[in-house]
Amino acid sequence: MATVSLEQVNKVYPNGFHAVHDLSLDIADGEFMVLVGPSGCGKTTALRMVAGLEDISSGTLKIGTRTVNDVTPKDRDIAMVFQNYALYPHMTVAENIGFALKLRKMPKTDIEARVKETAEILGLTEWLNRKPGQLSGGQRQRVAMGRAIVREPSVFLMDEPLSNLDAKLRVQMRAEVSRIQRRINVSTIYVTHDQIEAMTMGDRVAVMRAGLLQQCDNPQVLYDHPDNLFVAAFIGSPAMNLYEASVTEGAAAVRVGSQQIDLPASVTTAHSGLAAFAGKRIVLGLRPEHLPASGDARPGPTLTGDVDLVEALGSELMVHFTIDAKRVQAEGAHDPDAEDVAAAGEGVARVDPRAPVKAGERFTFAIDADGMQFFDPETGLAIW
Amino acid sequence: MAAISTTAERTTAAAPPRGRRDANTKKLARIGWGFSAPALLVIAAVTIFPIVYSVIMSVSNVQLSGNGFALNGITGGNYSVLVHAAVWRYAVIFTIVYTLITVIVELVIGTCIALVLERLTAGRGWLMALLLIPWSMITVINAELYGYIYNGTYGVYQYLTGLVGLGHPVILGTPTGAIAGMMVADIWKTTPFVAIIVLAGLVMLPGDVYEAAEMDGASGWTTFWRITLPLLRPTIALAVMFRVLQAFGLFDLPYVLTGGGPGYSTNSLAILGYFAMFKNLDFGPGAAVATSTAALVLLGCLASLRVFRVQVGKENA
Amino acid sequence: MRTRKRTGWRRIVNGVNIAGLISVLFIALPLYWMTIGSFETPANLASSPPQWFPVPGTTANYSTAFSQYHFWIFFRNSLIVTIIATALVLALGTLAGYALGRTPMRGKFSLLVVLLMISVFPEIAIIAPLYLLMREIGWLNSYQALILPYTAFNLPFAIWILRNYFLGIPKEMEETGRIDGAGPLRTMWSIVLPQALPGLFTAGIFCFTACWTEFLMALTFNAQTNFQTIPVGIATFGTQDITPFPTIFAASVVAVIPIGILVFIFRKFVISGLTSGAVKG
Repeated sequence: MATVSLEQVNKVYPNGFHAVHDLSLDIADGEFMVLVGPSGCGKTTALRMVAGLEDISSGTLKIGTRTVNDVTPKDRDIAMVFQNYALYPHMTVAENIGFALKLRKMPKTDIEARVKETAEILGLTEWLNRKPGQLSGGQRQRVAMGRAIVREPSVFLMDEPLSNLDAKLRVQMRAEVSRIQRRINVSTIYVTHDQIEAMTMGDRVAVMRAGLLQQCDNPQVLYDHPDNLFVAAFIGSPAMNLYEASVTEGAAAVRVGSQQIDLPASVTTAHSGLAAFAGKRIVLGLRPEHLPASGDARPGPTLTGDVDLVEALGSELMVHFTIDAKRVQAEGAHDPDAEDVAAAGEGVARVDPRAPVKAGERFTFAIDADGMQFFDPETGLAIW
Repeated sequence: MAAISTTAERTTAAAPPRGRRDANTKKLARIGWGFSAPALLVIAAVTIFPIVYSVIMSVSNVQLSGNGFALNGITGGNYSVLVHAAVWRYAVIFTIVYTLITVIVELVIGTCIALVLERLTAGRGWLMALLLIPWSMITVINAELYGYIYNGTYGVYQYLTGLVGLGHPVILGTPTGAIAGMMVADIWKTTPFVAIIVLAGLVMLPGDVYEAAEMDGASGWTTFWRITLPLLRPTIALAVMFRVLQAFGLFDLPYVLTGGGPGYSTNSLAILGYFAMFKNLDFGPGAAVATSTAALVLLGCLASLRVFRVQVGKENA
Repeated sequence: MRTRKRTGWRRIVNGVNIAGLISVLFIALPLYWMTIGSFETPANLASSPPQWFPVPGTTANYSTAFSQYHFWIFFRNSLIVTIIATALVLALGTLAGYALGRTPMRGKFSLLVVLLMISVFPEIAIIAPLYLLMREIGWLNSYQALILPYTAFNLPFAIWILRNYFLGIPKEMEETGRIDGAGPLRTMWSIVLPQALPGLFTAGIFCFTACWTEFLMALTFNAQTNFQTIPVGIATFGTQDITPFPTIFAASVVAVIPIGILVFIFRKFVISGLTSGAVKG
């Protein structure tokens, strides 16, 4: 077991592409750290630098107290699980799991014992003599995990290990990987592009974008207090509704399109920075669950929109609506196909299932004012 | 739509040096050179040195003595002998024309065979196996076999032409007959090679393109010219390149089948160079023939460098 | 048009199948003549019109080839030279192909282009200096006089094919190996090679065929019967005036059999080898 620390780590490829900028991260002993971001954000490159599979252009990488920039992968005492599992097709499950031990010249009987023990943890005992080609996707994934944990490394690296599984299995394996990690208590760096995976699995989550670390904190903080527009838009599903807005003179209300939302005192105190934006443009962020009910049912600020579609989920209604304000996009945070739909000023609300909302009608939503987020449109930074 | 950047303000930090290679990469590169060294050394010893030596010899006065030879000074004489020798000029033209004709015929027949094979409803696997036999056959045997077939008194060819009333043409005795006969023997051996390459290209073509063409109402012929052939172009280019460069080294077939004759009508550059060096012991002019042949091949290589580049793959781009 | 339905006799007798039959005849008839010729008596083979069947058949040509023309010496020499050269090509080619496919060597691209050019370089261009070199070091009339050049000439293509195969193996497998502590040779032997077996077959069969059929160098370097290979042996059967076709055919059949069997068994790999360049484009 060991800590991992990256200090001002950079990666520049020979063609000049700057994949990782000044990345500094500290992973505590036994911590489950998730690197998340859209594809091409540098998260996999960062992981591969920790593994020693990519050169570090500048900066320092430490595992424990040792600087390992120039240490070969095998001497870093790490284990890695790859997206495609990289199981050796010509070896049985037992041979796959035991290969690393065999390389260390461990006695045969010890290898067998360790492999057996690992297989039990992962529920692979009856498959030990199969070849990877005869296994299902979930079983292969488990073998890949087994190959990593059998070595008892001080750091686990996982590169999108669940993305080749189907949706149902992914949810199941998510819990299982977390369970195994807690059980063996090894520092883990886990790379994924799936923010739900990041939120559900990570002790802490580092959000990256275009090679830059945006924010690194525990999942709840990321969700409640995103540092910037990108994190706000990337974390959460359905995504936060972000609108162009302006702060009124005196900073007691914000205007969104043709509507004015009065800000309760609790909001203006919490976001004292808003005063500086009086009369200026900002970005207003509202998570779907902060539009929880009909405006008639609750006192306080409201937002009125034209309802396009109502999805009944039983426990709640997903209400898709449109208002006359411009929707704001954070580059790369969304599925590009969805952009033109969202650009029109559409939003989503999570409404109480008993609310009288119908597609095609106007509806006034109550706003849970304490959930409102404000961002500087120039820098994208959150206003507090 | 307002796109808001969270990167702009932080990109000004001084960029670290590009592509620094740390100890790991350098070690891997060293291992790479270590792994390739034996192969590269063997190749260099047997090809690079002789090529250089060949060039030097071709511009030297080569003097043979009892059990050795000496290079006495630089001369352009070997090449001027060549340029003034009708035999050499003939061999150059012969080699080029022979290459052109055989490669074109092989390509046409090979493509036809491939198209037939692709649609064959029965026995495709066996026919493929049969195609590989001429390809893997020793050229000398190929030559002997056609020597028998063309035999003036009891050859099968004579018999067959007699049967269909074409009389008994002399094949290997006349220049035209010998050249044509040699081409047929060559085509017999190498067309299967072309056919297999083209067939593999055909099999790789996406089927939906054909379905789309059929929906558009294209006839079979139009489909072939407008869709199949353009899509096959890279495959065919590869086959042509290999065949052209191979054909320039033409030696075994004329050596056994015609001995370069009658006269010097089937003297390829390789035959000419070989006889000059090893029968007449004219090493200087022989080396000049060899070098000029190599130069021609090199020209062909440079001309097809684009094909090479495609082959080397994208990861080096 | 490829899906057009044909019914009744048109399913068997159609243009495509007839063209196929003609191609078969064009390729197969010379082979047929060679085979029956090897079983005919010299008198029958030289008769006109030629016989379609070897009646009466004889195996005398085979014994003549072996006893009178020392065919077994040629056969043995060919086997020795071909097998050793092929083994060398596979061993050196695997290492180099792996290095060129997978390690961060600088100048890989140029090296690969040079290798491809060498693989199509005409033998005639180097035969004289090589001959003089062999004479100088006393290698004329020896196995190594052929093994070394055969290895060198077949290496580029083998490296090429093997590299393409190695590129097809997921890089993560080797990376896992590296993390697990496998050295480069270990990675090659335990992880890469087992998965590259088809590539080895392909390179091997190509190299075997090329060595088995090579003529110019075999003719030039080894003038003594003791070290001559099959192509040279068959070319020198008979005299200036008489070509003993039945004996030549008998020897030819024997020479074609090993390579024919090999090619037949590994035909899948030959075809994938012929096209691997085109496919990877």
